[in-house]
Amino acid sequence: MVLAELGSRISGALRKLQTATVIDEAVLDECLKEIAAALLQADVNVRYVAQLRNNIKRTVQLEEAAMGTNKRKLIQKCVVEELVTMLTPDRSPFAPKKGKPNIIMFVGLQGSGKTTTCTKYAHYYQRKGWKTALVCADTFRAGAFDQLKQNATKAKIPFYGSYTETDPVKIAEEGVEQFKKDKYELIIVDTSGRHKQEGALLEEMKQVAEAVEPNDIIYVMDSHIGQACFDQAKAFRDAVDVGSVIVTKLDGHAKGGGALSAVAATDSPVIFIGTGEHFDDFESFEAKSFVSRLLGLGDIGGLFNT
Amino acid sequence: LFKRLTDSVQNITGNKVLTDEDINTVLVDFKTNLMAKNVATDIAEKLAQSVKTSLIGQRTERFTTVRATVKKALTEAVQRILTPKKSVDVLRAALEAKAQGRVYSIVFLGVNGVGKSTNLAKVCYYLKHKGGLKVMIAACDTFRAGAVEQLRTHARCLEVDLFERGYGKDAAFIAKEAIQTAGNEGYDVVLIDTAGRMQDNEPLMRALAKLVAVNNPNLILFVGEALVGNDAVDQLQKFNQCLVDMSHTSKVRTIDGILLTKFDTVDDKVGAALSMVYITGQPVIFVGTGQKYTHLRKLNVNTVVKALLG
Ligand SMILES: Nc1nc2c(ncn2[C@@H]2O[C@H](COP(=O)(O)OP(=O)(O)OP(=O)(O)O)[C@@H](O)[C@H]2O)c(=O)[nH]1
Ligand SMILES: Nc1nc2c(ncn2[C@@H]2O[C@H](COP(=O)(O)OP(=O)(O)OP(=O)(O)O)[C@@H](O)[C@H]2O)c(=O)[nH]1
Ligand SMILES: [Mg+2]
Ligand SMILES: [Mg+2]
Repeated sequence: MVLAELGSRISGALRKLQTATVIDEAVLDECLKEIAAALLQADVNVRYVAQLRNNIKRTVQLEEAAMGTNKRKLIQKCVVEELVTMLTPDRSPFAPKKGKPNIIMFVGLQGSGKTTTCTKYAHYYQRKGWKTALVCADTFRAGAFDQLKQNATKAKIPFYGSYTETDPVKIAEEGVEQFKKDKYELIIVDTSGRHKQEGALLEEMKQVAEAVEPNDIIYVMDSHIGQACFDQAKAFRDAVDVGSVIVTKLDGHAKGGGALSAVAATDSPVIFIGTGEHFDDFESFEAKSFVSRLLGLGDIGGLFNT
Repeated sequence: LFKRLTDSVQNITGNKVLTDEDINTVLVDFKTNLMAKNVATDIAEKLAQSVKTSLIGQRTERFTTVRATVKKALTEAVQRILTPKKSVDVLRAALEAKAQGRVYSIVFLGVNGVGKSTNLAKVCYYLKHKGGLKVMIAACDTFRAGAVEQLRTHARCLEVDLFERGYGKDAAFIAKEAIQTAGNEGYDVVLIDTAGRMQDNEPLMRALAKLVAVNNPNLILFVGEALVGNDAVDQLQKFNQCLVDMSHTSKVRTIDGILLTKFDTVDDKVGAALSMVYITGQPVIFVGTGQKYTHLRKLNVNTVVKALLG
């Protein structure tokens, strides 16, 4: 639903190519202009939109000279490939190992959905038979521990936290230690929301990371974020070793184009998307099908082989 | 050739009649810049269009380039949009209500996680300390885990009373009870927290419209975050629309003003302020600039204009 609008706009632009009798530079420019406008409206970073536009144009011109292929198909293929490439970083996603303690730390901006997503993530693995547990290392936000506790209780996941301790590093350390001892396989550490403009908060995040030595750090981003996305994600990546991204609130109307920025800034893959406030509103992410949906193209497997 | 020569000379000396093409060439850059500063694309587009319309056929002033002329017009337009046609002084309104023996009520609404509850606590701090008002907080987010405890913590720190009925109950009814209790027990202000909801979620939007219709609060504050991109436009349109469509009362209420949060997280990418005001025509009443109670400001229009076009 969310992505359909963007998809229809882009496929509309591509369809216009189908109807044009001759595809000259002007027609190509017009098509790329519309695609760019659609991407901007989806909150893709202004810089990437320009880059994408240039890349597509260059590829189309190059390949066309080389093999004189069907131009429309070529452009469509280019758009798809560029978007997939942008969503596919070099780094492959972290895969937790069964029978061992896997420590996963959640970080992100204030209100992005970390605490809610922690439980979803734990619930997802628990249903697959993993021994999961939650640690609340947010000692700042009012009611943070109650929130995690109520979520965990509802999803029947063991949790650790404190109403009195004010040092997140200490709680994180103790909680992880305890669950390690009890042979938990996925130990998930929730942290406070923070942002790049406050150095002390990033420092605190570093200290928590140093204390618990996470196997993966997940950057949780709200799909509604606009042009500030890249800078924020980059600051988190520069402070700690972010390895994965989760995009939340995709049940809303926002198109989530910021995901492209977050992937680029962190060089980390999107692993899940959040699609609601309930534990089950959680889906794994696959770049090709995401883009396919984005463009309203259905199965795009064939496109990659042409 | 002669025409082109006059054109470029006139671009320096001024007195040039502006054509569609002249303006387009420079306007494109300004538009891209506005979008990069997080103004919603539709709003940047509309703004550019209106500036263009106002300039075509005009002559540039002496020694003013086309670029400078467009920039000036754009700056004035942005300034005009951001400068409120009506000012909302919450403190004064609350004090007036108190003088007349009425309880002043504010509803905070918006999508998930934008900062409704936290900024409600900041407004509470402001009214209590700046106005010496007796404030009650009403916990009408009966859905999200920890929502009640979050407010309980704030109420304790702020030394004000919390009206709560736990989870799962009808928010509209709790708000009603809170306002009644406040009236009976000599409170001056009731601050009503609501659950975050996506603007396309019909059942939840219907419930919100009911809360507003049943309680007819003195002020409806839309809470939106400065981080939000293009969705800002849709959020405000749909929240307003739902209040209109689903109200079932004769006196239709819409959003009275905006509380713009997380202003401290966007550097100079302050475009959301423009998008929100443009689409509603309502003023930014408060700006949230951090996570502490004192992090509540008034919008400085000049700072925003400078960040967007400076
Ligand atoms: N509709 C919708 N709401 C979501 C989703 N994920 C989280 N939320 C809501 O977003 C709001 C904020 O979520 P939290 O989990 O508290 O966010 P957080 O990042 O832990 O916030 P801080 O700890 O304050 O930084 C809550 O109202 C959640 O219910 C989602 O996928 N869809
Ligand atoms: N940096 C910054 N953070 C803020 C600001 N206002 C709120 N926050 C943070 O944003 C997060 C979410 O705030 P809440 O007040 O819980 O948001 P909410 O809209 O009530 O969330 P839901 O009720 O779950 O929809 C918290 O971590 C707040 O501390 C602000 O002005 N600046
Ligand atoms: Mg949290
Ligand atoms: Mg809240």
